[in-house]
Amino acid sequence: MQKNELKILGSRFTYIILIIAVLLIIGEFVFHRHGETKIEDYLFFPAIFGFIAFIFIVFAGILLRYIAMRKEDYYDD
Amino acid sequence: MMINLPPGILMLFGGILIPFLPSSFRQIWMIIILILSASSIFVDHGIHMICEMIDYSFIFWRSDALTMPFAIVFHIAAALNIFYGWHEEDWKQHASSFSYAGAAIGALHAGDLLTLFLFWELTVVTSVFLILASKTPQAIKASFRYLLTQFTSGALLIAGAAYYISVTGEANFEKISLNNPGAWFIFFAFGIKAAFPLLNGWLQDSYPEATVIGTVALSAFTTKLAIYALARSFAGVEYLIYIGVVMTAFPVFFAVIENDLRRVLSYSLNNQLGFMVVGIGIGTELAVNGAVAHAFVHIIYKSLLFMSMGAVLYRVGTIKASELGGLYKYMPLTAICCIIGAMSISAFPLFSGFVAKSLIMVGVVEHGYILIYIMLLFASAGVLEHSGIKIPYFAFFGHDSGIKTKEAPMGMLIAMVIAALLCLLLGFFPSILFSLLPYAVDYQVYTPSHVIGQLQLLIFAILAFIFLIRFNLYPPEIRSTVLNFDWIYRKLLFNFAVKFIMLLNKIWSSFSSNVISLANIFFSIIEKYSITSGNNAVKVGGSTVLILFSLGFVLICNYLLF
Repeated sequence: MQKNELKILGSRFTYIILIIAVLLIIGEFVFHRHGETKIEDYLFFPAIFGFIAFIFIVFAGILLRYIAMRKEDYYDD
Repeated sequence: MMINLPPGILMLFGGILIPFLPSSFRQIWMIIILILSASSIFVDHGIHMICEMIDYSFIFWRSDALTMPFAIVFHIAAALNIFYGWHEEDWKQHASSFSYAGAAIGALHAGDLLTLFLFWELTVVTSVFLILASKTPQAIKASFRYLLTQFTSGALLIAGAAYYISVTGEANFEKISLNNPGAWFIFFAFGIKAAFPLLNGWLQDSYPEATVIGTVALSAFTTKLAIYALARSFAGVEYLIYIGVVMTAFPVFFAVIENDLRRVLSYSLNNQLGFMVVGIGIGTELAVNGAVAHAFVHIIYKSLLFMSMGAVLYRVGTIKASELGGLYKYMPLTAICCIIGAMSISAFPLFSGFVAKSLIMVGVVEHGYILIYIMLLFASAGVLEHSGIKIPYFAFFGHDSGIKTKEAPMGMLIAMVIAALLCLLLGFFPSILFSLLPYAVDYQVYTPSHVIGQLQLLIFAILAFIFLIRFNLYPPEIRSTVLNFDWIYRKLLFNFAVKFIMLLNKIWSSFSSNVISLANIFFSIIEKYSITSGNNAVKVGGSTVLILFSLGFVLICNYLLF
């Protein structure tokens, strides 16, 4: 029962985020966004940076597992 | 009502009296003492108490524009802790957390290096019981490692202070130039408590092992005291910019794969300290304001996040992400408070983190550190990943863990709601925060460009998360231990020491057996040519060799020395 509720909640959340994302894309043109640095003035720079940085962090974390992950009782041996 | 005692002293001793009070009166007692202590915040700036002892002036009470914001937020954190622990019967935790807050407030107001050292050590002695009170074997071991690292910080501080005072003749706790070894010792003493890279292992090791209340208290004081100390003594030291930026970046990768959600928050704490350290390293009025503002709001939203995870641990008995999920239905208010904390730390507009982080970021750009600025943007995406999404998602949503529980106790809820409201208040009205900062602020936080830019970064990072979840690319939570820098002394140095001792033992047994056989040959020759009979033959044992060897060693040393 709750499984379905979580799924519905997830879908609604996704829709809300997509709507906000579209609004932000429109806002980019309406408000002529400019950043603190020149590089940030490129079209959709924060959006692209945020998306790529997030994916990079997660995949780098997956790679880190191979180096730094041990069994749960590693220090109790 | 004014109490003519140095700030914090009242709480320090008030905490010590807690065991002697009836349990129903303990919280009331703490609130009364806290209010009396808080009255000291609003005294005029200046030095209010000096004790002359052995030709040295201990400045117990110095108030200025830098101590005030920290003193206010330390009192807020102590108040939150009182409400949060209302249900707790264990007097040790109340006494420890209250005295610990007092010691930290005392350290803030120390005007000289030796008084600072005194309170610096008192924060350790009072806080370690918060870890020990967990009573698990892991917590007991972690508390000893905590003591070891914190006392190392204290030893560095006192050694550095002694050297610095003897060289410069200056004992005041003010700006320190890194031009002598004493200053560097003090720098690293602060660095251990501020969890600099490679010195940070104690934080992720000990905080998650503390009790439910203990972790909330620990998260507020020690590290922010170090931030205050760095801001007072080493503002504008360029090394701090690079140290800080590494601090913001590396914990985000560890937090991705960590399964213990309180440990995830400890990595997150390290990352947030990095932002403050960068601000201090920049050293301009704007950047130091940013660092202080960030410390202020951070104490509140980080306490809120630790409180929400503590509430889950209290109700469910575990805080492993792999075992949690779907709790929003049973703990809705805790979930909402957690989300507010998560949005604050992620620096969503209208939440407190946005206001404080903006000051640091602008300070960095104004100084021309563009690459550092980009690194901080990257770290901001990292904060969103581990504290903004991972914490609420895996605890309250994620998958259905099948756990059925109930909402947190009333005291916990009150503390969380107050903290959540403060996050919103400071986000909606940044002028309140700005009025508390050490320097005047002339900065417009809410401009369309700034808000849209920040929202783009955060919302598209959330889209990346949704993308990874939808396509099953997000790494599942696994029960595991993630190696951190404490591995160096917990495994590497430990194994090295064991092997070194075994090697010494081997060398000694081989040496002594050779000496024994040589000595026995020698004595058998004497025996052969002596007049006495073989019944009285001399036999040499290991202890004889040890005594003879020690004697020889002492004689050689004497010869070489004199």
